[in-house]
Amino acid sequence: MSTKPSIASSAFSRRGFLGFAAAAASAPLLAACGGGSASQGGGGAGGTIKFWDMPWATPAYNDAAKKLAEGFSGSGSKASYQIIQWNNFYQTFSSAIASKTGPAVSTGGGFQAFQFEQQGQIAYADKVIDKLKENGQFDDFLPGVLDPFKSDKGYVAVPWQLDMRVFWYRKSLFEKAGVGLPTDWPSLLEAGKALKKVGAFGFTTGAGAGNNYGNHSMIMMMVNNGGGVWNKDGELDLMNDRNVEAMEFVLELVSNGIVDPAAVSYTTDNMSAQWKDGKAGYGLFQVNVPQRVGDTSGDLLVADPITGPHGDKATIVFPNNIMMYTNTPSQEASEAFLVYYLGQLKELWRQKLMSALPVFKSITEMPEFANDPNNVKIVKDWQPIAKTFAAQGKTLNANLAALDGGQALNQFSQTILTGKADAKTALQTFQSGLESVLKK
Amino acid sequence: MALTTAQSGLSRARRGVAPGGAGGPANRKSKLSAQTSRTFFWLLLPSVVLLVLIHGYPLIHAGVQATHDGSLIQTGNFVGGENFATVLSSPAFWKAAQFTLMFTIVGVFGSWLVGLGLALLLRTKIPAGGTFKVLLLLPWVVPIVVSSTAWNWLVATPDSLIPSLFRNLGLGTPLFLADPNLAAITVMVFKVWVSFPFMMMMISAALASVDTTVYEAASMDGATRWQQFSQITLPLIARSTYISWILMTIFCVNDFPTIYLLTGGGPVSATTSLVVLAYRTVFQDFATGPGVAIAFLMTMTLVVISVLLYRQIRKSSVE
Repeated sequence: MSTKPSIASSAFSRRGFLGFAAAAASAPLLAACGGGSASQGGGGAGGTIKFWDMPWATPAYNDAAKKLAEGFSGSGSKASYQIIQWNNFYQTFSSAIASKTGPAVSTGGGFQAFQFEQQGQIAYADKVIDKLKENGQFDDFLPGVLDPFKSDKGYVAVPWQLDMRVFWYRKSLFEKAGVGLPTDWPSLLEAGKALKKVGAFGFTTGAGAGNNYGNHSMIMMMVNNGGGVWNKDGELDLMNDRNVEAMEFVLELVSNGIVDPAAVSYTTDNMSAQWKDGKAGYGLFQVNVPQRVGDTSGDLLVADPITGPHGDKATIVFPNNIMMYTNTPSQEASEAFLVYYLGQLKELWRQKLMSALPVFKSITEMPEFANDPNNVKIVKDWQPIAKTFAAQGKTLNANLAALDGGQALNQFSQTILTGKADAKTALQTFQSGLESVLKK
Repeated sequence: MALTTAQSGLSRARRGVAPGGAGGPANRKSKLSAQTSRTFFWLLLPSVVLLVLIHGYPLIHAGVQATHDGSLIQTGNFVGGENFATVLSSPAFWKAAQFTLMFTIVGVFGSWLVGLGLALLLRTKIPAGGTFKVLLLLPWVVPIVVSSTAWNWLVATPDSLIPSLFRNLGLGTPLFLADPNLAAITVMVFKVWVSFPFMMMMISAALASVDTTVYEAASMDGATRWQQFSQITLPLIARSTYISWILMTIFCVNDFPTIYLLTGGGPVSATTSLVVLAYRTVFQDFATGPGVAIAFLMTMTLVVISVLLYRQIRKSSVE
């Protein structure tokens, strides 16, 4: 027995179907080349400085930042404030800049200023620096935070916060495990083994969807051993002995179960939950971890920096910055706004809205900041040894954007965290992956 | 009798004969006056212009980007097919293509099978059928961000609900998102879970149009339940099935959030599909040309698949 559909097909024409199929099938293309969401308004039409800011912390941060920005009035201009989500932010900025509807001033990705500088879209901040020298803020910068932004053509951007990676620990777990805080790599290994016995992990990290802490942990360990992704001349140098040694050590941590075997897939929320639930004994995280994970019992503390096998001591830092664009209603007004905004930053730390370090000494001395011993320890012990992603080099550049959060680094971190390859093989693949991107 | 009617209708349709009349589309077209043609033209013009702007411009722009180097802001030099050659010689592309194929096959047929089973179940009288239907639609209705978060909560860590359940049953502690093979399976199962309500609705709609007397006749002829299913139900819903397969194939190949939100394409690229690879290439590696080239290749493949399935639809109508 066989039968046929009761509705004939004549109404379903080939041409109509093909049109439909082509439209539906073209979705990836449209998605790949479609514009972002930054088409609102012109670049500071009417003399208004458009300031775009990222969601750096809780919504309260953006509310406060908006108030600060909109309080500006100088050089005959005012400022507007707009939040740009991290999701697809590069596309958002790129498409807006391409269509001349982008901001005059913005925060953004750590290396964004260098990417857009390469494309001639950035206005140099030398005059801002001059004004900061005049009003005394220049001398207020913490040592070394401004230098990475100086290029041959001028200051590409001005730093406003330091997103630093430091080791945190849960005091009660170390007491339970009966082991001291790590001071170097061998004691980190021993502490990890002891923590494992009490059901905790001694090298907490994560490399799942949207989580860069695994990537940062890998680079931090290289830098902590005197290595880094680049050499002093800024050339790719992943296969150096220090990097190999660092990754062999991390693989040892992995093989000893000191790294959570599921860490490779952890989102930042999963990782925070590990800290909150007392599963994380020790690991790399950002500033303000107790507030972030919601544990202000005083049990989560900043650890001391550890020393690498050759006596090196270092961590990584992302000097987040504010940049000016060439598309502005008035360059003078952009500069006036930036000087004004930098002068107002203390308010964000006074309200305890930031999950990063300030770049100004005066803010680190404010009671709202200095009353937290973790903050003080980070400024005192970690900030002086912090290096950027450019390490072993010192100057930031557009290539770092391809490293930060790119496929090559993420794949490398995941390979190490799963323990699926030896250090040299993983580094070689990482180097090849990065080379292929940097050629573009 | 019903079968004969259906066949007769099909036969008339194939000949281009309108129900109840002798004239087909061709005849009608010839009778259109010049005035009517002009009216059609002006009525269609706004839509055509809009379509060209919305689809045409991005497609052309993408074509330019795929054949040039440069960035999202500045199109660089013309490089011809170099971006395509780069992509096609990359092992990452073929690994992503392989995963996309598996993801699509499992996504299409997995969701179809579950949807078919539930659609058939919903034809029977079950208690609280309406509520049950609404509950079954939830995976499709709930925003993917919410459902991926829920799935992450269910499977991500060794202490999550499902790994704990496995552990309590003495089956070890599977790391659903950390093990490359398990992560791939988890993402596919998630896709089936998200998609089956769509299939269920498509099949339910097709089943609703089936004349129940066909089954009565078959039953009187002594056809078993399986024979009724395989030789009446399946052929009667064949057109809907093929259409839903085409749509689901497009949904699966283009599916970015399901994968990206749950695994980000990892671990170690185990769940990186072509669309995720295209995204990462453009927006994380900032290699605009190769990324758009991947999107082009995907589009061409989807058009080919769609045309092949369309032919199958026509064939199923003609048989």
